Amino acid sequence: MKPPALLSMTAPLREDFEIAYHDIGGADAPPKLALVAGIHGDELNGVFVLSRLAHFLSGVVGGRQPGQRLNGRVIIVPAVNVLGVNTRNRRWPFDGTDINRMFPGYNAGETTQRIAHAVLELTRPAHYRVDIHSSNLDFEELPQVRLYEPHDGERGTARLFGLPAVIERPMNTIFTSTLGHAWRACGGQNFVIQAGQAGVVQPAHCDRLFRALVAFLWRTGILTGVALSDEDEEGQYFGVGHTLPLISEHAGLFISRCDVGRWVQAGDIIGQVYDGFAGELRHEIKTPAAGLLSGIRRQPLLYEGDLLARIQTRQAVAEGVDTYLHGQGQ
Amino acid sequence: MQIDHDSILTLELPYRERLQVHRTVFQGGAGPRVAVVAGIHGDELEGLYVCHRLAAWLEELALTRPDGLRGRVELYPALNPLGIDTLQRFVPVFDTDLNRNFPGHREGMLPQRITEAVMRALAGAALVLDIHASNVFLREIPQVRINQESAATLVPLARQMNIDVIWLHGALTVLEATIAHSLNSRGTPCLVVEMGVGMRITPAFTDQLMTGILHVWQALGVLAADLPLAELAHQPLLADDSNVHYLNAETSGLFVPEVEHWTSVQRGQRLGRIVSPHEGGMLSEVRSPVDGVLFTLREYPVVYEGSLMARIMAVAAVEAAQ
Repeated sequence: MKPPALLSMTAPLREDFEIAYHDIGGADAPPKLALVAGIHGDELNGVFVLSRLAHFLSGVVGGRQPGQRLNGRVIIVPAVNVLGVNTRNRRWPFDGTDINRMFPGYNAGETTQRIAHAVLELTRPAHYRVDIHSSNLDFEELPQVRLYEPHDGERGTARLFGLPAVIERPMNTIFTSTLGHAWRACGGQNFVIQAGQAGVVQPAHCDRLFRALVAFLWRTGILTGVALSDEDEEGQYFGVGHTLPLISEHAGLFISRCDVGRWVQAGDIIGQVYDGFAGELRHEIKTPAAGLLSGIRRQPLLYEGDLLARIQTRQAVAEGVDTYLHGQGQ
Repeated sequence: MQIDHDSILTLELPYRERLQVHRTVFQGGAGPRVAVVAGIHGDELEGLYVCHRLAAWLEELALTRPDGLRGRVELYPALNPLGIDTLQRFVPVFDTDLNRNFPGHREGMLPQRITEAVMRALAGAALVLDIHASNVFLREIPQVRINQESAATLVPLARQMNIDVIWLHGALTVLEATIAHSLNSRGTPCLVVEMGVGMRITPAFTDQLMTGILHVWQALGVLAADLPLAELAHQPLLADDSNVHYLNAETSGLFVPEVEHWTSVQRGQRLGRIVSPHEGGMLSEVRSPVDGVLFTLREYPVVYEGSLMARIMAVAAVEAAQ
């Protein structure tokens, strides 16, 4: 059966195209949950996980998962930026605009404003809404829920994913043009998830994210009859002021052997900066505070001022310098 | 008059090289200080040529009337030098719009370090002109864009700029992270000029704008009052949210215009067609929704559904201005 499309559009020379989605569990009631990924065409972890989740939930509805039951309607958009996925482009490839800077969109405006409008209209009736991202090509994020000036209901619900971290961040001017922000005017409960790095599919992060989405469906009662894995430890909650960015003061080649999700102590070495011509060690990057390593730079070519890592701290730290780094991967 | 070339920022690149943001400074008397910035977007080149022409004019002045410069002029032709050198609109590597990174941060990433240095360098100027050249898709008549928030101070200046349109934007649509908003909100007046088209220069527009710039500088006391300048030949029409009509493509294909840019058009007049390279027929007719003047016209033929093809200012506004 041909899946429904949230937008159909002509193209100048290739085939007409559409942004297809999965509508699972009965089309009459408003959706309980809307899941969106691939607004950036290079963020593939979310595309892969949502396509697999749609396959799984279709199996539940189709009776192929004995004992399991879907008690509500779920909307899944594995990829919004279809042409971006197919041409390996983060942005809308034709005009280079970033779809996640076009919300709330406009149905008579530019192409990406129309796409944004259509995504918002499809997901508006849902009660829970989740936008899944994977940072960018340079940086790897521990799978985490991001909250921006949430209400208390969202603070509580964010824990139901069981991801390793829930991280609250201050509002910023970039966020206001994103899908996550446009949802705030629609009521319900809204979440941004960051998982891994753009440009690749990372099986471990994908498995974690898949389990998180199934756990969320189960804990909210949308899905019954599943047995949750017990391999995931309790996630940690970090309020505003508990994010410590490590910024490089040197240019060069950055080499790190650290993995995200590791707890570090003050003084631990996060990586090294080398002179890419002379080969000498120029700087050893140490964390000034203890905490959870929630993100690490994977791009070796380093400019002055680049973000090297983020540490989530138990003690509050000054977060001012981080405010302009928020747009990363969103 | 003293002419200096210096840089406001030097940053190391990962492998051996350095990034510098250069400027040229013309120091005359103790009068007001003004600046021209261009090349925030690496694909917009009109402003680079304006800087060249202004530099040539001031160098000539240094030889013929060195006391003619009563104040100080600073030219910043390329705020995004890596973008211009690599033919990219955004800041290479960072893939970010430099004009969404103001006011920046001294300890930020490279784009924010550039914008912070620019803000520091421009603070306190009597007037900053930020020259843009649309993008590769659309051709624009020389115009100044002003947000309602700063209309009271900026519109009188813009009226002397020898441009064709002043476009007032509603306060709700203010783009907070731009150089213009950042400077204006800190008390340094900044006018945004849009003209021409990306990746090209339009010498006639440069001449027109240059005349306006010199008049405004003279009015501010940067140039001696007795310096003879070319006559102002353009009076701007006033556009705003109420009289600007957008023509977005109904379907995808090749847009072929049938009218010249900056002409009067009648309601219902055909402005162009959208056609397919595969067949001889017409996919869509593009007609003007109003009587007015065509001040934006698409230069790049390929369109997607929704692509902007033209902007028309309704005729009532044109008549009122005349």
